Amino acid sequence: MSDCSCNRPADMSRRVFVKAGALSLVSLGLDPLFLGRAAYAMRRPGRTPGSKILVCVFQRGAVDGLNMVVPHAEPSYYADRGRIAIPRPGSGEGAAIELDGRFGLHPRLAPLKPLWDLGSLAIMHAVGSPDTTRSHFDAQDFMESGTPGVKSTRDGWLNRALLHRAEHVATPFRGVAFSQQLPRALQGSAPSLAIPELAVFGIRAPGPARDKLTTAFEQLYGGEATGIIASTAAESFEAVQLLRRANPTQYVPERGAAYPRGPFGHAMQQVAQLIKADLGMEIAFVDVGGWDTHINQGAGSSGQLAGRLDEFGGALGAFAQDLGDRMADVVVLTMSEFGRTVAENGNAGTDHGHATAMFVMGGGVRGGRVAGTWPGLEREQRYEQRDLAVTTDFRDLFAEVASKQLGITDLDAVFPGYDVSAERFPGVLI
Amino acid sequence: MRRLPALGVAALLASCTPRGAPPLNETVMTAPGAAFAWPATDSAHVLHFLDRLTFGPAPGDIARVQQIGYRRWLDEQLQPGRIADTMQDAVRRQYALAFEPPAQLWREYPPPQLARQLAMRSGRADMLPGGADDSMLIRRTQMAQRQLGGQVVMATLARHLASERQLQEVMTDFWFNHFNVFMGKNQDRWLTADYVEHAIREHALGRFEDLLMAVAKHPAMLVYLDNAVSHARGINENYGRELLELHTLGVDGGYTQQDVQNAARILTGWGVSGPLRGGFQFEFHDRAHELGEKTVLGVKFPSGHGMDEGERLLRMLAAHPSTARHIAHKLCARFVADDPPDGCVDHAVAAWTRTNGDIRAVILAIVESDDFWAPENMRAKLKSPLEFVVGALRATGAGPDTSARLGFVLNQLGQPLFMQQVPTGYPERMDEWVSSGALLNRMNVAVAIAAGRLPGMRVDLDPLIPPTSDRDALVAEVNATILGGQASPNALRVIRQQIDDVRDPRNARTLAVGLALGSPDFQKQ
Repeated sequence: MSDCSCNRPADMSRRVFVKAGALSLVSLGLDPLFLGRAAYAMRRPGRTPGSKILVCVFQRGAVDGLNMVVPHAEPSYYADRGRIAIPRPGSGEGAAIELDGRFGLHPRLAPLKPLWDLGSLAIMHAVGSPDTTRSHFDAQDFMESGTPGVKSTRDGWLNRALLHRAEHVATPFRGVAFSQQLPRALQGSAPSLAIPELAVFGIRAPGPARDKLTTAFEQLYGGEATGIIASTAAESFEAVQLLRRANPTQYVPERGAAYPRGPFGHAMQQVAQLIKADLGMEIAFVDVGGWDTHINQGAGSSGQLAGRLDEFGGALGAFAQDLGDRMADVVVLTMSEFGRTVAENGNAGTDHGHATAMFVMGGGVRGGRVAGTWPGLEREQRYEQRDLAVTTDFRDLFAEVASKQLGITDLDAVFPGYDVSAERFPGVLI
Repeated sequence: MRRLPALGVAALLASCTPRGAPPLNETVMTAPGAAFAWPATDSAHVLHFLDRLTFGPAPGDIARVQQIGYRRWLDEQLQPGRIADTMQDAVRRQYALAFEPPAQLWREYPPPQLARQLAMRSGRADMLPGGADDSMLIRRTQMAQRQLGGQVVMATLARHLASERQLQEVMTDFWFNHFNVFMGKNQDRWLTADYVEHAIREHALGRFEDLLMAVAKHPAMLVYLDNAVSHARGINENYGRELLELHTLGVDGGYTQQDVQNAARILTGWGVSGPLRGGFQFEFHDRAHELGEKTVLGVKFPSGHGMDEGERLLRMLAAHPSTARHIAHKLCARFVADDPPDGCVDHAVAAWTRTNGDIRAVILAIVESDDFWAPENMRAKLKSPLEFVVGALRATGAGPDTSARLGFVLNQLGQPLFMQQVPTGYPERMDEWVSSGALLNRMNVAVAIAAGRLPGMRVDLDPLIPPTSDRDALVAEVNATILGGQASPNALRVIRQQIDDVRDPRNARTLAVGLALGSPDFQKQ
């Protein structure tokens, strides 16, 4: 099973996969779920040194990378964005925060500046997909499957990353999405959970009734011989048990970290909470929406983008502060399906573009730098004379993170159809 | 009127005027050739039929199909105007807000700035909630708007739940999802109810071209996809793109970025009248329209035209073969299987082509196909959260209470009605809906329904499943009423075993119904 699992037939469910592949999986060092249950009785998944965690944040709707990480040395940036350009650093209220003389942060991302100064934050600019679709749906699909241009891929790149990670503790919490539904990136045969709310995860009923109902539903779903419904239910009930023992209800962020109100702030707090609960989470996935700024996107101090970046930056800043030293084991990777037009549109907004910017933050980050090759913003330097050109394939960035943070060696299996080469890694991690 | 007790629905016969599509014509509806050989009306087949074509069988529905047969049931449902809809008037009374014109709603539920303006103008600024304190005003108006949203959602849920025109309701859900708008965006707060009622429901079983045109001319869509602010001097291509990608041709339908831009140019000027000028109506703005020549899909649109070229574009897209295939595929995914067999899609495309996109003929062709009835496609789809909640309430004869809180249940299950932000709408595929959080939530909702604890609804199980101390009889009754007699042996065994030590017959019934509704058997359709 070490080759690409992305084209397994649809009817080969997780459960079938786990049962049929149990022995071969063990030989590869992967414990299938039901063996994990037995193992759990003996050892609680604890914090083992070197147990690294990847937190992926998906900015759905195509974030305007050019106003998030402002190329303030580019005259055409200001020429084409009369109403929405972020003023050059030092030019008063709403101005960009200077990073390196070429780029500046959107002023609402001020909470990230200390991380930049400490070298814990790297920025990848002009990154994107080799597929040039401007459809949100397709582009998100490609970024999550990790196979741009190929729609038939059934599983997500993060799920394949879980499958191909050699060392891990057996627990249903290996991959967790903090949402109602499991995102495309985590779908696949490795068990993953969707947990919208830690505190109420499970059957909600008073004491004895809860236990009775839990048992009954476990038996009802246990009767499903195969299929995604059966396997998902099995993972859920196991997770409920473990989580109950970890008792995550009374959570107080540390070091005075203040998460912004709003779904993203709340989700990032829950990520921190689950990391500290030591349940063996390796990959966390969080969505944050509202980036499709076709109208009145605003400049530095007001407008839709400023509001969204306020929560975005505030939550990431609070997360780093809350985790403290624990951040050494964690890398946060942000992503978005594509960027937006260089020129503003008729409504002081921006339309669907091509390349965007992504953040890499945490331990082991070669931070304080904007990585990648900057293609320039002059008209002839743009993709189709309109959008920021892609100079880094997102898979090169993702593969570096998968390799260095998750220790995956079989990168071709995580990014099937792509010739992954360490030489093309953008160098955002040590 | 067990199904909507809170509404106190009297048996009010609504007027039965057919509207929208022309009357059903046998020769148009049915493909030439031999009549379709329908399967037997055993409960397994009828359950499958009703699970796909309604929001799930309510008590008596299976028996009715067995009595009149599949084809007659379909003929009735395909002409919703001829079905007396006894609860329509009750819904209009109970959720009156959802039927008011958008401009009136906007005055009654104004955004804070407008509330302030209106009060200032009438010299009654002191009457504003919170006086000069804007934060109070904002809170109050937000609360009022949430109320409005709740009513709009309920007006739709109540009809999904209790309308006799079930196929029309299913198609209303399908088309709204296909032509998704987001009620949280700008003026769509006040426009969504009107959009559902007049653009979607009225054309849900009509001709696709009419539906497409009604959507394109509805302010809710023009606001949602920003066409209302697109201007010759500054094109916004958002609607142009989704029109080609999502609404008609499909992402592989053979268009280019140039086509997207030109479609957007053609549609410049398609806008919305300001709320203070009689407001919230579709309006063509000459001065915003781009007059130059455009080419879409190789077809030339000469310069100098106005609104007519937009209509021409929409007609062209509605008639395009890629559109037929794209939508036939989507309909087959909804009614037959997540990955629909080619044969079913071909069959649907043929009906589409033969009838110039008569939606009724396409549905009939799908149901009258061997793929629809193939054993591997039965119980093979997962109910969406909406289908699950509405189906569970239908099965238990439950109805909404007066609180308008039922909508929140859908938020919890990940499918808030009218609140999907992205234009793709909600997914259809099982693997998109199955996740740990979602499954556990369904179990919780199931237990809450059975216990009568679900916020926003009332249930009285007594007439359906009277309490009994005969536990085998109880299990049999729950199977017949909730699971269409199709419970798996495992479900029967587990439910029987679990109620064994529950002494009180009412508690035993609650547990049995809760487990049945939360079982994998009920999640599938």
